[in-house]
Amino acid sequence: MSAIATVPEPRDEPDIGKLGMWTFLASEVLFFGGLFLAYLYGRTHWPQGWATASRRTDVVLGTLNTAVLLTSSAVVALAVACEEDAKRRRWTSRLLALTATLGVVFLVIKGVEWHADWHEHLFPGAKFALDVPGAQEFFALYFVMTGLHAVHMIVGIAVLVVLARGRDWARAGHLEIAALYWHFVDLVWIFFYPLLYLVERHG
Amino acid sequence: MADARDFHRTARMLAIAWIALLALMLTSLGSAYLKLGPWNMVAGLVIAAIKAAIVAWLFMRLREAGRLIRAVAVVGLGVWVILIALSGIDYETRSMTPAAVQRPEQLPSPRQGPPGRRS
Repeated sequence: MSAIATVPEPRDEPDIGKLGMWTFLASEVLFFGGLFLAYLYGRTHWPQGWATASRRTDVVLGTLNTAVLLTSSAVVALAVACEEDAKRRRWTSRLLALTATLGVVFLVIKGVEWHADWHEHLFPGAKFALDVPGAQEFFALYFVMTGLHAVHMIVGIAVLVVLARGRDWARAGHLEIAALYWHFVDLVWIFFYPLLYLVERHG
Repeated sequence: MADARDFHRTARMLAIAWIALLALMLTSLGSAYLKLGPWNMVAGLVIAAIKAAIVAWLFMRLREAGRLIRAVAVVGLGVWVILIALSGIDYETRSMTPAAVQRPEQLPSPRQGPPGRRS
C-alpha cells in the first residue's frame, strides 16, 4: 500500500478525462456503427423498399432538427471558450442552459415527427402503411436509430443541466469532456440526416 | 492563460464553422432534389463527412489535441471501417436475399441444398 503512495505524480501526461471520453466515443462509433451496417444491408438488398420508405420521412422537420443540433454544438463550443476566459466565465452557465434548451427543442420536434409517423401507420406492425418489401425494415431501423440517438440526447441534456447549475469547481475540467460527448451526438446525427431524410427525395 | 484576443479569435472561428455547417446542410438538402442517381447518396455522405470533419477538428478540438487523443479518434474510426468491410463482404456474398449487385446465376437456388463453393 505504501508503495502506491510514494509513486510520484506523473508529469506531461495527457488529460486523462479527455482521453477517457475519446476512448468511450471510439466505442460509441462501433455501437452506432452496427446500425449503419444494417442500413447499408437494407439499402443494397431492398433498394425499392428503402426508396419508398425513405420518401415518407419528414424532410422539413429533419432539416430543422439538423439546424438545431448544429447550432447547439456551436453554442456549447462557445461555452467552453467562455469558461477558459476569466472575464467571460459568467456566460458559461447561460450558454450551457441554451445548449440544453436546444437539445429539448430537438427532442420536442422529434416527438412531433414520431407522433405523425405513428398516425400514418409507419411504425412497423400489422397495420404498416407501405406494401413494399423492405419498407417495414427501413422504418424499424429508423425508429431504432433515432430512438437510440434520442436516448443519447437525454443523457447529454442531463449532464449539461448539471454543469449549467454547478459552481466553478464542478465545471473545472468536466465541461470540455461533456462538450465532447455533445459534439459526438451531433456527429451521429450529421450522418443520419442524409441517410434517413435525403435519400431518394428527388424521385 | 487565454487573453481577450484569444477569445475573440476562437469565437470568430466558431461562428464561421457554424455558418459553414448550416451552409453545407442546405447544400446537402438541395443536392437531394437533383436527379443524380447513385451520386445523390455519394453527395449526401461526402457533405456529411465534411461537416463531421469540421465538428471533430474545430468543435472537438482535434486541431489542438495531442497525438494520443488523435490516435484514439483514428482507431475508433479505423476499427469501424474494418468491421464494416468484413461484415459487408460476408453479407454481400450470401445467397440468402442476394443484393442487386450480385448476379443471380452465380448463386445456386436455396432449394438445391446448401450453397457450394464457387470455383
